[in-house]
Amino acid sequence: MAEITLNNVSKSFGAVTVIDNVSLTVGAGELVVFLGPSGSGKSTLLRMIAGLETIDSGTLTIGGKESQNLAPGQRNVAMVFQNYALYPHMTVRENMAFGLKNIRMPASEIDKRVNDAARILEMDALLDRRPSQLSGGQRQRVAIGRAIVKEPAAFLFDEPLSNLDAALRVRTRVELSELHQRMKSTMIYVTHDQTEAMTLGDRIVILNNCKIEQIGTPMEVYTYPAACFVAGFIGSPAMNFLKVQMSGSGEKAVATLGDGSRVAIPVAVPEAGRYELGIRPEAVRVTDGSGDTTGDARVVEHLGDRTLVYVILKDGTQITAQDTGRSTVAPGDRLALLFDWSHLRVCDELCRDCHVQ
Amino acid sequence: MTPETARRVNLAGAAITTFTVFCAIVWAFPIYWGIVSSLKPEDEVVRPYIELWPDTLTFQHYWFALTQTQIGTWYINSIATAVGVTILTVSTSMFAGYAISQLRFPFRKPLYWLILASFMVPTQVLIVNHFVLMANMGLLNTWAGIILPQLIHPVVIIVYKQFFDQVPKDFREAAVMDNASEFSILLKVYMPMNWGVTTALSIVTFIWSWNAFLWPFLAVTKTEMMTITVGITQVNDAFGVYYARQLSAAVLAGFPVALAYLLFQRRVTQAITLSAGIKG
Amino acid sequence: MIRNTRKETLVAFVLIAPFVAIYGLIFIYPTIDMFILSFQDAPLIGEGTWVGWENYTRLPRDRRFDTAFWNTAYFVALSVVPGTLVALFIALGISRLSGRLQALVLALFFLPYILPVSVVYRIWDWTLNFQFGIGMHLFDWMGIDRVPIFKMTGWFMPAVAFVTVWWTAGFSILLFLAGLRAIPQEIYEASSLDNASRWTTFTKITWPLLWPVTALVLTIQLILQLKIFDQVYLFSVGGRPNDNLVMVYYIFQRAFVNNDGGRAAAIAVVLFVIVIIVSVLNFQLMRFAERRP
Repeated sequence: MAEITLNNVSKSFGAVTVIDNVSLTVGAGELVVFLGPSGSGKSTLLRMIAGLETIDSGTLTIGGKESQNLAPGQRNVAMVFQNYALYPHMTVRENMAFGLKNIRMPASEIDKRVNDAARILEMDALLDRRPSQLSGGQRQRVAIGRAIVKEPAAFLFDEPLSNLDAALRVRTRVELSELHQRMKSTMIYVTHDQTEAMTLGDRIVILNNCKIEQIGTPMEVYTYPAACFVAGFIGSPAMNFLKVQMSGSGEKAVATLGDGSRVAIPVAVPEAGRYELGIRPEAVRVTDGSGDTTGDARVVEHLGDRTLVYVILKDGTQITAQDTGRSTVAPGDRLALLFDWSHLRVCDELCRDCHVQ
Repeated sequence: MTPETARRVNLAGAAITTFTVFCAIVWAFPIYWGIVSSLKPEDEVVRPYIELWPDTLTFQHYWFALTQTQIGTWYINSIATAVGVTILTVSTSMFAGYAISQLRFPFRKPLYWLILASFMVPTQVLIVNHFVLMANMGLLNTWAGIILPQLIHPVVIIVYKQFFDQVPKDFREAAVMDNASEFSILLKVYMPMNWGVTTALSIVTFIWSWNAFLWPFLAVTKTEMMTITVGITQVNDAFGVYYARQLSAAVLAGFPVALAYLLFQRRVTQAITLSAGIKG
Repeated sequence: MIRNTRKETLVAFVLIAPFVAIYGLIFIYPTIDMFILSFQDAPLIGEGTWVGWENYTRLPRDRRFDTAFWNTAYFVALSVVPGTLVALFIALGISRLSGRLQALVLALFFLPYILPVSVVYRIWDWTLNFQFGIGMHLFDWMGIDRVPIFKMTGWFMPAVAFVTVWWTAGFSILLFLAGLRAIPQEIYEASSLDNASRWTTFTKITWPLLWPVTALVLTIQLILQLKIFDQVYLFSVGGRPNDNLVMVYYIFQRAFVNNDGGRAAAIAVVLFVIVIIVSVLNFQLMRFAERRP
């Protein structure tokens, strides 16, 4: 298992820059998730590591070896494609053996590896079938099996769950996690789904607009988002952003919300003025009695374990609040909201961060 | 692999690309050579060394062909017969294809099987009987005589039937509920929805008919009724052994269809791929 | 949907009437007539006398029929497989290009297909002209004597096959391009990660996945070349027609030169049967091959 390092890597297609001076390190045995919306460059970055796209400038090191000029097959990485890319005219066994045959591995060794992988993935019965005879989930296993037999330094996953239905996606996610724990291999996983990122990743690399916004563990990224984009992207439903006027500072800081309510928030701000508060829905609770502000419930969503209430304040500000699973709130109710300030982000108007508790 | 090896792989790719382009040029060279030769005066054409561009660029052969020979008449014959074949084939195939696709009538299936089976029949074997038939009908040396046997083109009706099959049934049902007659459903719904196919098939049928040799060759003995494709090979006394002149006549004959292709490349490609799909 | 059957049938018949009328006149009737004529001793136009199977029994002893038959087979061997392979490799080359360059290169390879056969004839007759053709310089460079290609029996068929491949490759190239386009790019990416060399990629991935198209092209070409006439006729003008006969040419010769409609029809029937048998065989072979996995 190897460490992978990208150093000041950039790439352009003609005049368009698609990766801009990116540096990161994936530790040996780590599962790192590249997370970001479409067009953020996450897939391109993965393909650059795999060798399917060239690296215009910067270096790539895999297991200590400089690799940016090596052919894809020579980099000792294996990739699981989004659409599996199984060879339709070959059986499962032939699909898995193909790469090993090309490097002239002895047949006995190939057989051993194929059978071992089939056992790990519980596909022994499928070895002589063709891809067209398999279900989506089975095909995905074959794609993973093809990667396993290579015994690579690292596994690269390109949105592997996006073609599966919801129930299968959850099951497979758990299986992938188990696989990682069992094999202790370096894995890089690309997705746009922040739930997958949060559940699978040892660390998450958040990409936006061809740049890295933040790198951190799931909890770090959730609790201490380094940028507005990250704050809004991680967590579902998204973080609330409230425009407030701050006066005072430290213990005596007071925030005035859009609808005029004044709330005491102990946070150190450089000077009084307009700021933006970021607060997650689970920190905005519906209370009986008086709260920090009041508003009207617009839409109520019962999720079973919790209830999401979309509230509109007097001045038109929209806040997503959370109540217990057995909430009796109905659309149109007037509600009192209480803010839990223990996890809060304050940034100035231009979204430059100044304080996170 | 070192950076040199990576560069070597890129070089191999570039070499293949260059080779492909080179082959394309060599492939098309005879056409270029034919055109260039037609622009040289006769004495230059027969020079023993290779001149890729005329020493003296001249249009005299084209002028001669257009004014001193029957090429003008041949053009008219070609246009008339090709247009005739196209209109008749496309329209009858469209109507019949619609009927087979959308309507229920006795012998519908056997008719379709018969048309499919006729694919396997080589029309060249029918030349004798076509000749006899046209002779008996007094249609030799007429446009009708040239047109009629060329109307065997089962591809067109089969493509129409397949495309009409794919039109969602809702359209027809809505139209029927609106008391539309079958004719207006065909002309106002199905035909406009498949306009692309009609264009593609028409262009390809036109080109095919323009290029036809065997039947127009047999059907016509009088030089003034010949199509241009036949005429340029038959009438040698007007041209004698004048190579450049003959080539200019060939260029004049091939120019319209080449132009049609260059203008309608996508349609031609589409029609050909469709017709092959049927045969497969 | 409730249908007014009687009215629908009437409308249907009106719609199919022109097509059926033409088909009946131009296709059904002449086909039947062809069979009938083949059993007669008749001139091209006019009445004939019934002779039963005589026209057919004469064929095995007919030297010209023998020539036509084997020439056709020879021609098919020279043009079908080489033509298909040439088209395949050209398509492979074209598929690597993109954008304007690809469109230009494709147009250059495809242009011959659009031209009428007589234009193709004129171009190659000129290019390979014994006295003045530019192709003769190739012989000079190779240091061998110039050859009047279309006048020499040994050279004739290969040359006509060559011209035919040049003329018709465009069609096959289009089909191969469509087939190549249908292979997802991801498969090639996976194979590059699997260390497949260029050769392995072609033999183990491209060729098997392309096989249905290849088979289709071979089939279409085979049936097409069995029916060849135009270029053989045109190139043998002024040469030795009797040595260069192919099946359709022989039909033409019997009917229009020897004024023997009955015998011509018999040959036509033989060709007709051959083509049908080959078509059916092909079709069954395709079905069989598809069922193998």
